[in-house]
Amino acid sequence: MKQMRMLKILGIFLVVGLWAIPFAVAADPVVIGLQGPITGPWAYEGQMAKQSCEIAAELINAKGGILGGRMVEVRVVDDEGQPRTGALAATKLVGQKDVVAAVSTYGSSVCEPASNIYEKAKKVNIAYGATAVRLTDRGLKYFFRTCGRDDSQGKFFTEVATKKFDAKRIAIMHDNTAFGKGLAEDTQNALKSLIDNGQITVVYFDAITPGERDFRVPLTNLRESNPDLWYFTGYYAEAALLLSQAREIGITIPFVGGNAAINDEFVKIAGIDIAKGAFMTNEPLPADLPFDETREFLDAYKAKFGEIPSSPWPLYAADALKIIAYAIDKTGSTDGDVLAEYLRKEVDGVPGVTGPIGFTDQGDREGVPFYLYVVNDEGQIVVSQ
Amino acid sequence: MNDEIKNRLNTLGGRRFWLSLVLIGFAVYPFLMSDYFIDVAFFFGIYALLGLSLNVVLGEVGLFDLGHAGFYAIGAYTTAILNTTLGIPVLMLLPLSAFTAGFFAYLVCSPIIHLKGDYFLLVTIGMGEIVRLALLNNPFGITGGPNGVFGIDYPSLGFMDIDTSLKFYFFIWIVVGLCILGLMSLQHSRVGRAWNCIREDEIAAEANGIDVRSFKLLAFVIGAALAGVAGNIYASKLMIVSPESFSFMESCMMFSIVLIGGMGSVPGVLIGAAAISLFPEIFRPMAQYRMLFFGAAMILMMIFRPGGIWPRKRGAIQKGQALKGIKKPLLPGELPGA
Repeated sequence: MKQMRMLKILGIFLVVGLWAIPFAVAADPVVIGLQGPITGPWAYEGQMAKQSCEIAAELINAKGGILGGRMVEVRVVDDEGQPRTGALAATKLVGQKDVVAAVSTYGSSVCEPASNIYEKAKKVNIAYGATAVRLTDRGLKYFFRTCGRDDSQGKFFTEVATKKFDAKRIAIMHDNTAFGKGLAEDTQNALKSLIDNGQITVVYFDAITPGERDFRVPLTNLRESNPDLWYFTGYYAEAALLLSQAREIGITIPFVGGNAAINDEFVKIAGIDIAKGAFMTNEPLPADLPFDETREFLDAYKAKFGEIPSSPWPLYAADALKIIAYAIDKTGSTDGDVLAEYLRKEVDGVPGVTGPIGFTDQGDREGVPFYLYVVNDEGQIVVSQ
Repeated sequence: MNDEIKNRLNTLGGRRFWLSLVLIGFAVYPFLMSDYFIDVAFFFGIYALLGLSLNVVLGEVGLFDLGHAGFYAIGAYTTAILNTTLGIPVLMLLPLSAFTAGFFAYLVCSPIIHLKGDYFLLVTIGMGEIVRLALLNNPFGITGGPNGVFGIDYPSLGFMDIDTSLKFYFFIWIVVGLCILGLMSLQHSRVGRAWNCIREDEIAAEANGIDVRSFKLLAFVIGAALAGVAGNIYASKLMIVSPESFSFMESCMMFSIVLIGGMGSVPGVLIGAAAISLFPEIFRPMAQYRMLFFGAAMILMMIFRPGGIWPRKRGAIQKGQALKGIKKPLLPGELPGA
């Protein structure tokens, strides 16, 4: 009796133990991990990222793979969009010896513990939807991201303000929400060097109270400060009222909204007459990207899944996979140190689905993946030329 | 044969045998497994600790608490904030996290402790959600809003840092072991007997001179403090805390741990924690369908074993005796009312 029991227990231990041994030994394909929220509240983002990475891998394989004919394989682990599961998922991936690098992940708080684990395991990991500024401030060697940062939008506005509008006197208005205020402050920080050398003055920086109906008092102050460009970082309901009342009291300068300010609802509330010509800074939507790689990718995606991704993030996942494969192919190595060094130093302007890919020394995406959109005469929101 | 096993289980020698087998299993396990499975076992330990903490409230006293993630969050955030801003070592914050969570429980629960059953449950749900939403809204700019607090240190013992999966595994299970010892002796103490008495019949308890209010509060404070300890260890393992780790779902998981395992039973809680933390990992390949299996398993459990997988033994034995009409000599540690 007793022996039988012992045997049974031993058997259980054995089964569980065997299970834990990673079985893939024949390392013919190059395996790249994808950690994403396959289930949980952000499941649609995870599913689209998975599909995007599969398409990206298929496109690479159709052209003959990398390293002289080895195929790229995507291995997906689910992190549920939870920091705890994210840490487990990352441990699971780095425990599999054939996984050479990872695309990881959506959501900054999930990305943080996961990236620490990849760092320890010396595996290159590229985030596709983690935008918190601090992630790349930690001095990690193996962490990169193909998406922008929370302060990218402010930087992009600075670019637009100087290059497109040639503005000298800028008014920044926010709504005191965490998002609106954050964007306004980031913008001011991004403008700082231009302010310091006297090229630009921020003549107005103030908040309005969301939910109010009459903004004529703050608008009058704004008019008195005599700006030539106006950036509003709050939400669309206030943006619509602000713009109509501003036009009433004779403010005619260009209006630029943040990515929460302009949408179809904005056009409806303000009316086409007022809304047309209003600008918005926004992440480019998949369909608006002009690159050949984008078209190739989206065609393949549509052919397989029937529609194109509805959010910008999956494309960054595809680019993360693409750039890892590219780096492996160019260096002929799957070693984390070699890859990290190559990505940081050598990769510059490599064509990707979301435009040319390059990385800063910190591991951020080089260049700013933002677009200027404008409301056209029919009330549609289109990319501004 | 079934009886034979039961008898063996019930004798002191048999118990020692099983206990040492389990202990050896725990000690050997991490050396046979990959890091991933060590981490799974670590989170099993976290859930075991959370289950034990809720068991004090739900199992021993019978207070329905579906806001326990709130205390867990307070422990984790206390550690995270004080460690990142003031640089206090994580291990020194362990008792402080326990104290903060316990103190918060005392403050919040003293005015509502007289509520009964469902009403109390509703208030605790609200409390848990308020804590989570408060963290989300970044009060005084200290909780970091939805992104959370990051960059928490590893616990340091002075001569070495607890920084690998293996060390964390032993850390959490030593803490869980100490808690089990403490809670077991509490079960057999005057306090434990008073708690159980309150659970069975509050009026009778009061008539016997038990100060129901303070004993309930005591259970709550101890439960919350243990959850705070779990929060501290969780924060130092992940190096980041963010509100989504302390959602209502997390409270539900703890509740299920106690219900699945058996109310008031320490081994039951361990089994429940194993079920809750291992089940989703085993069924992960099935992605979105795994919650379906989980739900089905819960329903089957409730039909065939409504008292939990391993209910508190004393009750079971007495029930069995009553059914069979036999009287066995009682074993040490199983005296009536012990």
